[in-house]
Amino acid sequence: MVKTPVQYNKKQRRLVMQENVAAYAFLLPFLIFFVGFVLYPMFMCVYTSFFDATMGREDIFVGLKNYQDLFQDEVFWIALRNTLVIVVVSVPITCIFSLWVASAISKMPVAATSAFRCIFYLPVVTGSVAVTMVWKWMFNNYYGIFNYLGKDVLGILDKNINWLGDEKYALWCIILILLTTSVGQPIVLYVSALDNVDKSLVEAAEVDGATPKQAFWKIKWPQMMPTTLYILVITTINSFQCFALIQLLTSGGPKNSTMTIMYYIYYSAFKLYKYGYGNAMGVILAIIIAILSALQFKAGQEK
Amino acid sequence: MKKVIALLLALVMVLSLGACSVEKTVETQAPETQPAATEGTQAAAPEAAGDPVEISLWTYPIGKWTDEATVSALLADFNAAYPNITVKVEYLDYTNGDDKVNTAIEGGQAPDIVMEGPERLIANWGAKGLMVDLKDIVPAGTFESVLSSCTSADGAVYEMPVCMIAHCMAINRDVFEAADALQYLNEETHTWNSVEDFFKAVQAVYDAGNEYVGTIYCGGQGGDQGTRALITNLSGGTYANAEHTEYTYASQENAEALAKLYAQDGITFDTAIQAADEIQAFVNGTFQMAFCWNIGQEVTNADALSFDVLPMAFPSDTTPSLQGGIWGFGVFDNGDEAKIEAAKTFIKFMTEDDAQYIKAVEATTYAPVRDVEGVYATDELFPEYNLLSPMMGDYYQVTKGWTQARTEWWNMLQRVSATDGSVEAILAEMETAQTAANAAAAAEG
Amino acid sequence: MSHYSQLSPEQRRAKLYSIFSCVVICLIAFTFLFPLYWIITGSFKTKTEILSSTPVWVPSEWVMTNYENLMSKRTAPLFDFSLLGYTITGPTIPAALRWLLNTVVMSVSSMLLTCLTAAMAGYALAKKRFYGRTILFSLIVCAMALPKQVILIPLVREMSALELYDTIWSVIIPIVGWPFGVFLLKQFAEGIPTEMVEACRIDGASEWRTFTDVMFPMIKPGVGACAIFTFINSWNDYFMQLIMLMSTKELTISVGIATMQGENSTDFGILMAGSALASIPIIIVFLIFQKYFTKGITMGAVKG
Repeated sequence: MVKTPVQYNKKQRRLVMQENVAAYAFLLPFLIFFVGFVLYPMFMCVYTSFFDATMGREDIFVGLKNYQDLFQDEVFWIALRNTLVIVVVSVPITCIFSLWVASAISKMPVAATSAFRCIFYLPVVTGSVAVTMVWKWMFNNYYGIFNYLGKDVLGILDKNINWLGDEKYALWCIILILLTTSVGQPIVLYVSALDNVDKSLVEAAEVDGATPKQAFWKIKWPQMMPTTLYILVITTINSFQCFALIQLLTSGGPKNSTMTIMYYIYYSAFKLYKYGYGNAMGVILAIIIAILSALQFKAGQEK
Repeated sequence: MKKVIALLLALVMVLSLGACSVEKTVETQAPETQPAATEGTQAAAPEAAGDPVEISLWTYPIGKWTDEATVSALLADFNAAYPNITVKVEYLDYTNGDDKVNTAIEGGQAPDIVMEGPERLIANWGAKGLMVDLKDIVPAGTFESVLSSCTSADGAVYEMPVCMIAHCMAINRDVFEAADALQYLNEETHTWNSVEDFFKAVQAVYDAGNEYVGTIYCGGQGGDQGTRALITNLSGGTYANAEHTEYTYASQENAEALAKLYAQDGITFDTAIQAADEIQAFVNGTFQMAFCWNIGQEVTNADALSFDVLPMAFPSDTTPSLQGGIWGFGVFDNGDEAKIEAAKTFIKFMTEDDAQYIKAVEATTYAPVRDVEGVYATDELFPEYNLLSPMMGDYYQVTKGWTQARTEWWNMLQRVSATDGSVEAILAEMETAQTAANAAAAAEG
Repeated sequence: MSHYSQLSPEQRRAKLYSIFSCVVICLIAFTFLFPLYWIITGSFKTKTEILSSTPVWVPSEWVMTNYENLMSKRTAPLFDFSLLGYTITGPTIPAALRWLLNTVVMSVSSMLLTCLTAAMAGYALAKKRFYGRTILFSLIVCAMALPKQVILIPLVREMSALELYDTIWSVIIPIVGWPFGVFLLKQFAEGIPTEMVEACRIDGASEWRTFTDVMFPMIKPGVGACAIFTFINSWNDYFMQLIMLMSTKELTISVGIATMQGENSTDFGILMAGSALASIPIIIVFLIFQKYFTKGITMGAVKG
């Protein structure tokens, strides 16, 4: 990165100056938006997290109290645990599933590949409110499609299961819907990554007698590593920030079994007007995500 | 590809030219301000001399106050009398409305007038000192009980009530008739003979082959007035104290009532659905009774209902005490005297004169808050539902810590659904919830 | 099937596997298609069929009521702007059309602005050595990790101070500031050999010419990916739109539909008609850009 300029003569110093001016000139348009409308609110968020802030009165400075309260809040720990379950389950499944689908559809004729790629991208495109509404109907206890198929058509279930109303299933239902809305982008990425793999290397390996399986893991997989890294980071951030599904489907229930940090932040800040508390939670969440992303980067770059 | 992009670019330039309003100047409010439709409201002399003022009115979906045509007609009446005041109406929904209003308040963009009920206008924004006292413009004859619900602890009227409703329950009359369960209720008065008969009726409907008769929905806070009223009416217990400072629902009698519901065939606890889903399932015939109902629901669902709906008071051994809904106008104190005056003028116009008030009330589809001649003269449903209005009980939704108390309530029901159904276990869950709710109330105290 | 027995066990297994995966993918694809199918057919159903307790796979009678309701319930001017103190208002049209228009304008504007600013910033971050570079990049990663909910209130205050609250700019600007695009294009620009940039500089080209003539064409596929991602993100940025926009004429389609819902009753007909309508432009954009798009993302990600 930037080395401290040691002993520069006048001309060199001018060049360094020029480079800096040019860099900031290129950054300027972005920085206006970034500093003004992302960094400043972000700073305000961190700042407010040290206050007992609510609607209709002046904020009161409380130091680290919001953070202390947070660690004693049972619901926060439940929310953290649920969020981690979502991340730990959905991130690997998203990656593996999209890799599998991509490798299967990339062998198909071009038209079929395009068609499938488009189909798997549809849930992202259709908009979350409407898609979630359809899923809610599918999971309905009384006339949802899952119970209809399971009980009346296939006969697997003895009685209706209240999918979203049962602690045992609710979180998994959320994860399932989350998966359908998050595999689109990775599939698109992997299909093209597979296309871009150096063909000559694969052919050379096959001449040397490598099985398709070996060719995949030894040749293609390492070349797709950067794609995988990118998908990991983006999917991790998205899974951590799972919110709309919870708001539209379960409000965090039953018995907090689908409470996520993002929903709890929303509930604290927007429903109970505990702005400071909500912001403190936001800061903690951001720190966790940032650390994980940094780790993923490190791991990816070492390979 | 270049062509497509160029085309898109051109499109964007044309569109952004057209679609971005650059300045928030006072705009000419639609053509319906023309004096054509003004007959009948000439009583109030036009005060054209006043300076032009623009005020905003944000309304939650209260009957037809969400319907642009209805609201425009009301505004046309107003503008005929006060052409200098422009009212900009925006529509909110219950799912997201609070988030919108709250962020607007925080951003210094609160509306001038908002149409909602006391739980927001008095207990929330009023208590935070954001509202204007409307005591001086309350029309004579407004029901004392309603007005007191719209008055804060220190005597300020933060809501000018417009309409009210007694939230009730409803049964599928066809199914009840087929199950011979109509004998347990009085169709004339819309009441159950007794608590015992209510359970007998549920049993009869269940025995007639209806697996799902009714449900204690607790998937969220939506429509929780239904479950609260059901339990407190069954038991004769209370939800909050008379001073509205403390929650009192964790009582032996309430726990017993809930335990009885828990044990009853045909009554389930559904932790996945809220009132909107319950109503939907009632309308399509899945459930035979709905605990969240009012006249608005029957109007909205009219074209989907294939059976006869019978609105009912909640089952009680004494006089049923129904949960009320009171909606009206509140004025935000945005520090601009002219706007506050204009807002008051608007409210006064809508509520003072009988003829205009009837129009405003009928747009809500709910009952008026003072006696007026000729309201709903041609409406068929209204008289039937209005029979329930006198049973309206204490308006305790203004108790402190209300938002958190609501969450505690449905969470409590979710936990109860996972217990063994014994009175002790239920009472313990109720106590946990009540303690948390009271802590929130005390924090606001 | 006749030559099936001639295959070696290994080949046979591979064949079986590919048939199996094909079938499974078709089944899964069906569940991905289903919501859209349901929304589109649902938007033509009667209220009774929408609420029916047994699944109605195909509407028994195709009705336009839901679209009529969507179009008739609210109105808005086609456009309106002030010029020299005069307010120019367009013809009154169904608000749903204005919302659709707003959404397109919003998404396309954020897309264009993001691509431009992000390409420049990504280039600088990747190829320039300047003071504060590491700190800036760390801040970018942190900002991406921060949940949007917690910055909303300061953002609303800012927007109202700038008199941008309740205009589509209040939704566009935060998206342009969101550093995702910069992050993507920085990764991308890093894959371009530095020698090429330097060669251009030595030839005497200005900084700006170096960017437009050398850098930009090379990161074009990345810019394409950034464009589509921004377009879709902005289209689906429901919460921000909900908080920032208020006037009927300023709303986006998803927020607009939400304001048409009653208390404790969801009008699924309007919701589905609106969603069906809203998904058409975005699917068209996806289909048009599909080729460009996929190529773009991969190269960006591969270079990551």
